[in-house]
Amino acid sequence: MRNFPIPEDELMTSGHLACQGCGATQAMRFALKALGKQTVIVMPACCWSVIDGPFPHSAVQVPVFHTAFETAASCAAGVKAGLDMRGDHETAVLAWAGDGGTFDIGFQALSGAAERNDDIIFACYDNEAYMNTGVQRSSATPFGAWTTTTPHPHTKSHPKKSMFEILAAHRIPYLATASVAYPNDLVDKFRRARGIRGMKFIHIIAPCPAGWKSAPEKTVELARLAVQSRLFPLVEVWQGKYYLVKKDLPYKPVTDYLSQQGRFAALSEADIGRIQADIEERWEELLRKEQLGGPVPGNA
Amino acid sequence: MSSKKRDFRDESEMPLSAVAADDMRWNKTGSWRNIKPFYDPKTSPCIASCPAGENIQGYIELAREQRYEEAARLIWQNNPFPAICGRVCYHPCMDGCARGSLDRSVFIPAIERYLGDYAIEHGLREKRPEKTLDDKVAVIGGGPAGLSCAFFLAKKGFRVTVFEAKPLMGGVLRYGIPEYRLPKTVLDAELKRIEDLGVEFRPDSIVGKDVTLEELGQYSAYFVGIGLQTSRRLGIENENSKGVMAGLEFLEKINTGEPVEVGKCVVVVGGGNTAMDVARSSLRQGAHVTVVYRRTRDEMPAIEDEVHEANEEGVHFRFLSTPVGVIAKNGRITEIRCQEMELGEPDESGRRRPVPKEGAYFNMPADSLLVAIGEKPESKMFEAVCSISSGLIVTDEYGRTSNRKIFAGGDVVSGASTVVNAVARGRGAAEVIAAELSGKQFDPKKTKKVVAIADLNTAYFLQKDRAQMPRSDGARGRRPFAEVNMGLTCEQVQEEMSRCFSCGVCDGCDNCYVFCPDVAISRHDGTYTIDYDYCKGCLICVQECPRGILSTESEGK
Amino acid sequence: MQKVLEGNHAISWGAKASDVKVIAAYPITPQTQIVELLSEMCTSGELDAKFIKVESEHSAMAAVIGSAAAGVRSFTATSSHGLLLMHEMLHWAVGARLPIVLANVNRAVGPPWNIWTDQNDSLSQRDTGLLQIYCESNQEVFDTTLQAFKVAETVSLPAMLVLDAFFLSHTSEIVDVFGAETGKKYLPPFKPVDFLDPDNPKAFGNLTGPDYYYELRHKIHKDHLRAIDVARRADAEFGKIFGRSYGLVEEYRTEGAETILVTSGTITSTARVVIDERRERGEKLGLLKIRLFRPFPLEDVRRVLTRARKVLVIDRNIGFSIGGIFAQEIRSALWNTRVHVPLFSFIAGIGGRDVTPGVLNEILDIASAVEYPEQETYWIGVKDEELSYTGR
Repeated sequence: MRNFPIPEDELMTSGHLACQGCGATQAMRFALKALGKQTVIVMPACCWSVIDGPFPHSAVQVPVFHTAFETAASCAAGVKAGLDMRGDHETAVLAWAGDGGTFDIGFQALSGAAERNDDIIFACYDNEAYMNTGVQRSSATPFGAWTTTTPHPHTKSHPKKSMFEILAAHRIPYLATASVAYPNDLVDKFRRARGIRGMKFIHIIAPCPAGWKSAPEKTVELARLAVQSRLFPLVEVWQGKYYLVKKDLPYKPVTDYLSQQGRFAALSEADIGRIQADIEERWEELLRKEQLGGPVPGNA
Repeated sequence: MSSKKRDFRDESEMPLSAVAADDMRWNKTGSWRNIKPFYDPKTSPCIASCPAGENIQGYIELAREQRYEEAARLIWQNNPFPAICGRVCYHPCMDGCARGSLDRSVFIPAIERYLGDYAIEHGLREKRPEKTLDDKVAVIGGGPAGLSCAFFLAKKGFRVTVFEAKPLMGGVLRYGIPEYRLPKTVLDAELKRIEDLGVEFRPDSIVGKDVTLEELGQYSAYFVGIGLQTSRRLGIENENSKGVMAGLEFLEKINTGEPVEVGKCVVVVGGGNTAMDVARSSLRQGAHVTVVYRRTRDEMPAIEDEVHEANEEGVHFRFLSTPVGVIAKNGRITEIRCQEMELGEPDESGRRRPVPKEGAYFNMPADSLLVAIGEKPESKMFEAVCSISSGLIVTDEYGRTSNRKIFAGGDVVSGASTVVNAVARGRGAAEVIAAELSGKQFDPKKTKKVVAIADLNTAYFLQKDRAQMPRSDGARGRRPFAEVNMGLTCEQVQEEMSRCFSCGVCDGCDNCYVFCPDVAISRHDGTYTIDYDYCKGCLICVQECPRGILSTESEGK
Repeated sequence: MQKVLEGNHAISWGAKASDVKVIAAYPITPQTQIVELLSEMCTSGELDAKFIKVESEHSAMAAVIGSAAAGVRSFTATSSHGLLLMHEMLHWAVGARLPIVLANVNRAVGPPWNIWTDQNDSLSQRDTGLLQIYCESNQEVFDTTLQAFKVAETVSLPAMLVLDAFFLSHTSEIVDVFGAETGKKYLPPFKPVDFLDPDNPKAFGNLTGPDYYYELRHKIHKDHLRAIDVARRADAEFGKIFGRSYGLVEEYRTEGAETILVTSGTITSTARVVIDERRERGEKLGLLKIRLFRPFPLEDVRRVLTRARKVLVIDRNIGFSIGGIFAQEIRSALWNTRVHVPLFSFIAGIGGRDVTPGVLNEILDIASAVEYPEQETYWIGVKDEELSYTGR
């Protein structure tokens, strides 16, 4: 019995240049299945700049515009405006950025587009560091993680920036998290985003075997454990107010997730305790917000 | 977009800027791979742990689609007795069932029983073979081993005659197992299916008396499956007193409806299934029953369920105790003298050996002492034709004896074992007999690799409670010998079957196809193909397969 | 239709006449009025365009890159730091071959903060591949907006029109303007070669190795060279339709001139007056206005300047240590000509300081006093006694 009744269309081809077990690649494949052919992708510098393949070839079969690192949102806003002025109001514009192009260098343009409520879908495939340049820390790198710029014993001392809360604070029409381990959910969210006018932000956890020092075959498992440990809960937020938290998943302790990644090899018991406590605090907070917002309005 | 690699020889062929109109399929990333996944359907652990090799996963899959008849017929390919085994089997399949690693193993016997009963209720018959062969084969013993052998030989077209010493066929199934566990109607129905296949039943035929070895020698081959007939004795003082009885003898009386008086206070010695049957049958005679066993509950060889049900019904247990003498009055038992035991070093069976406790004795009042400490074979009559050791017929693993024409299986070969073991041996021998009579080399089927539980991905299965078997009133009810376990309803069976993982067998879940980051897996008509031109060997397909279908091999690069 | 317009509004009118479809901009003095008026035009509907009010110039350029890639005519305007912030995206627009038009109001670069005119912002973009056109009047600003689109779209390269802060941006002049309907006579709707089209999906700007990057850069170079004649024809065609044309360079009274003063922007207008006066006095002086800076109209410059005995270049900008940037360009243009003309490089007006007729006279006096420059670069009017050249 099919676990994933997602669309059959393949808009990403084989032969791309992603590493073995690349979560970002799965994310693209699912997102395009959801969005379909009437989509334009705007891609800032990120792993996908390489994955897509060298000129004159591209691994995705929708139009792609490669743009500078910090411009995913602004360039996408421009593309959308251009399409509108051409009379094309159907094509979805997808800004497809890594965590650097979202949390760090792309942050200003993203915030600008969010505030202007530009009619784009901004998707961040988050592998929690600058992977394309060889694993340097970003503000998406979690507490305690090794990277080449947070080497042992000085692994990252601060927690990950909560992009989700920042975007919620922009009160954009639609905001969601997704995981490559849950393709149905991911596809649903992209489809929902496609049907909403204004700014949509989808934050996808996309494991990177090379940077996380995990086995390539563990990509989906880690993406699943990130969710099940509630480190990366599956959430949707409408208008920054109405939260819907996916709560009916099995719960797994965060050690199941951490222990399978070399980047967390040096975590002490106390560190793990801190991470676990942080997860619980944030989870409670999320549930409070869900309660506070009340039911999602029908027209959301 | 074209999938060919585009090369420009001249600047004039190039677009104005880096505009790409071709895809990446020219780039055969399969060359990156150093380990290769491949589809390698495997045997479910339940199947591997079923002595009869029943295709449990297969029949569950059919039955899930409500193809009950096909499911029942699939069982018959390995076992003619699903209704019987679904009731009395010790179900090692459940120990093997991988679901146990998530919550509790699937209630396989209840499903098997449902299908067996379905076949009976719907009067399903095994198809007769298209042609009958000239070879005649005799089967000595109408118990599970012999009947199984007869069934599988008959299916192949042999003309089979079963000689049974007792007045009715069934052996231990009829004379050993009580009605409340295995109703005679069920037994008769499954026996009839064998008879309907053209097998000739010759009851009341004792070898050496009603049928001679010479007569048997006229058959192309014969199979001996006579089981164990004689109960072992305790060898203690006053064992011949009135009220002391062999367990099998007691059960035979019960099962044939012969009146038997056990009094108010019954002591049963032994820890096996016979002891449990004896105890529970005694209970049904209205007695207070105590089982005396020399080790502890953990070491009891009886099926756990049987012990549990006996206990539930009110059977008492006195562990670490053994009778050392019978105290009789006027030649009739009144008390039993027992010695307390303690567990010492493990014996050859791996269980801790009971050691008598110096000076610790006690007496128990008893109107009856029922001895169920094991049985012995009666195989003397075959001494002249094949080799026998300690009363057991010596065979190879396929049931071949020292005599080319004689085959054997079941308890008379293995010693006290189980119904399913007998069924398996009977079938195994039938395969060998068929091969040899047709002049072919017997070629045992190669079994596929068995799925290791570690190869499954249980993240795709939700926790779900096992179905509860409805029970009748039991021993204290109005009809004490009515069947205790009443069977699952159709809905319950469906729910229970939904708990099956289908280990090792692809059910088209799409995980491999969906999660492949390289779009290297395609699906056509429910089967998947890996395109090794593109597979980079990340092995996500292997990892995410819930059922352990995929295996890997190193490519040594 | 004649209107009294400040230079900034002349640009807004120029964008409207060009029928731009997407505008993205961020406010910066002294450019602000351009986007204010465009906002009003978009709001009132007289201009059918989307105006994305971005949060930075970097995003402004990124946004118009996006809209141009989507196949519509796109416009932005900025100044000084805004242009510098765009710098990365100017390279991007060039590499992506997108014919965006950008208006830059020349303003000095901080620190210290200074909002007055200075060319260092635009000239810092010299090697981005952006076409650059320097304007002298508000009419030229309006007309050049359309011409810039015409050239940009013909050669698939972005173009920047440049005007002086305040001297043009905030100075009102009579400008003959027209709307988009009239504009179409000159500038037909934008028809891109490739654009982001879901029905014909293509990828733009994929990773390109040394095997092809080289040729792609060569193509830009070739189109830059081609753009010289394209610009010449575009200007001529404009002249044919509207009666106004400006040339790639403008010669003013160069007939028989032994000394030719080279200027750009509004200094040119002051220079015309000074040249007229000194011609009256019999000096053999002429003026060359550089309008098109990129692509550099090498042959035009050579044709005019190789006739002179002295070339004087005034730069409202500085390439530290080497001197004025126009001077460098012209010096290099005169190399390989078999003619040796002494070149006097003058720095004047940086940071918005007035370049008055007095300043120009001082420059002409310095050059007339010697046969050959005594310094590589003359900083005119520096408040330093020792650096006073006057009277030498």
